[in-house]
Amino acid sequence: MITYAYYPGCVAQESGKELDDATKFVAKKLDINLIPMPEASCCGGGVIDGFDKNLKLFINGRTLALAEKEGLDILTICNTCTLTLSEVNEELINSSESLNKTNEYLAQIGLKYSGKVKIKHLLYAIRDDIGFDNLRKKAVRSLKGVNIAPFYGCHILRPSNVVKFDDVENPQGFEELIKALSGEPVSYARRTKCCGFQTILVNEATSTSLAGNAIFEAQEKGADVMVTPCPLCHLSLDTYQTVAARSINKKLSLPITHLPQLIGIALGGDYAEMGFSRHNVSLRSVIAKVKQNEI
Amino acid sequence: MEFKVRTYRFNPDTSDKPYYKEYAVQDFPGMTVLNALMKIKSEIDGTLSFRRSCRSAICGSCAMKINGISKLACKTQVNPEITKFGIINVEPLANMPVVRDLIVEQESFFDKIKEIRPYLLGQREDEEHHKFHALKEGEKIIQPVYYKSEFQNLTGNNDTPNCILCECCYSECGGVVGNKNYLGPAALAKLYRYSEDPRDNDRNGSRLVNGSKQGGMWDCVHCQACEEFCPKGISPVKGIVKMHEKAIKNSITFSSGAKHIISIAKSIQETGRLDEVKVAFDTGGITGLINDLPMAFGAGLKGKIPPIRLKLIKDMDDIRLAYKELDLEGK
Repeated sequence: MITYAYYPGCVAQESGKELDDATKFVAKKLDINLIPMPEASCCGGGVIDGFDKNLKLFINGRTLALAEKEGLDILTICNTCTLTLSEVNEELINSSESLNKTNEYLAQIGLKYSGKVKIKHLLYAIRDDIGFDNLRKKAVRSLKGVNIAPFYGCHILRPSNVVKFDDVENPQGFEELIKALSGEPVSYARRTKCCGFQTILVNEATSTSLAGNAIFEAQEKGADVMVTPCPLCHLSLDTYQTVAARSINKKLSLPITHLPQLIGIALGGDYAEMGFSRHNVSLRSVIAKVKQNEI
Repeated sequence: MEFKVRTYRFNPDTSDKPYYKEYAVQDFPGMTVLNALMKIKSEIDGTLSFRRSCRSAICGSCAMKINGISKLACKTQVNPEITKFGIINVEPLANMPVVRDLIVEQESFFDKIKEIRPYLLGQREDEEHHKFHALKEGEKIIQPVYYKSEFQNLTGNNDTPNCILCECCYSECGGVVGNKNYLGPAALAKLYRYSEDPRDNDRNGSRLVNGSKQGGMWDCVHCQACEEFCPKGISPVKGIVKMHEKAIKNSITFSSGAKHIISIAKSIQETGRLDEVKVAFDTGGITGLINDLPMAFGAGLKGKIPPIRLKLIKDMDDIRLAYKELDLEGK
């Protein structure tokens, strides 16, 4: 059994609760022990350095120190949390000035950070620490015949000198996972592009057109479902899908799942327990396809 | 080794729509994509059009999409591309109209560069003697000289002056894909470069005020593509974020982007968490809320609603102390 400090991020504990539930289900099935971090704060949503750079260092340095105190690496399920924690980790490891400043603050709350923690997103934790072969062996349902469009999102890939999980120009981790579950990965150009979430409240038209274009392209390439490793992308792609369709003036109707929901189905999870009822676009057609494999 | 180059072709004078044409090319050690294109042009098909000049990654002319990513053809080796993709697929840069084959219309890009006023503003009061005047006999031109290291120390800005205006970042930018009026990374990196220049005399903060208008720095989608794909190692997005911080610290907060970030910071200060409802309200105000009402109502019906009152994280005092230490309480 492998143990991580579990950092779900804010959205998975608020509007995207289904992601947290599915992650816990998958972790149990894959013998991953998730230690909760009730003291951990929000990472700052990827924009907090626009308010104060040192605040980003302090609050995330604290999260890293909490994990280090337990001797654990951090498991994330949100791209933006992954990037923010990784950026702070890189800075604290490479800049003694930033580390000293952060440790002065941490000392006052009984913590210290020395740079030992690694940040792993669920997708790559499964690839590197569990192994896709093990995942394949544990799958009890086949996703054969289901055309699955992987949507990586930005912050799990870029900047590649900070998040070093995959080949930024031609990532394959997601496709390999889909193949391990016997699904058919859909190849489309916008799989590594932006969902626009960061400006969804600032400039909705810009944001939703990005999500809309990605959904439309995947749809045109024959996708039955799109899967994302990030709850922020999920909000853009699923919750805002109707707005996105208006934004690009195209008909869109593509079910979007969180990564652990898709894995959860393959690992035998109850369809109702995966929380699909909370999605904007119904997963009924995808579930019907999976059920065909069970007959 | 013989390899294939698949190029985008379009000549508006002779064809209605673009098509792709493949050429077989024999490589040589160290061959770049530009070498391959020049070989095609000189030996196989003289009609293939592309921009090029220095062949040394300094003029920025030969930027194009190579296997889906905006790169300088002169700086991209054929071998690793073939190893990874099995082919050299070349297309014109995105976000700009195509003139012919791999050549794009650059006007919109340079209009945006001009818009940020890429020159030093005004005259510093302590530099009266630098005003333009006819030189007297024997008088030498006196100019303030900043060595590169001194400029870096003064501004913390060690990369943006290296921009070669190749448009790779503009082509990859998610913000421009979604909004043709967005200034884009290169112009905003330049805006940052001038807003930090100690010689600039922007007395009323007009650079940051203008940069905060619609289509400006708050429309960045933080996709990190500009940093990732800049062939000169520049990070426009980091400059944009530094301008955000500077604008907020100087109370230039009229844009919804600034309100968004301030609201997130406040939410963390109060609860340790990101309060989705409060941040949405603070950013968009009543109008934003009304606009999003149908979408929010639909999500609510499905049970996808964040809690109205958030539970504080454990040891919340630690977070309050961080704000106190940084003198951010009540900011």
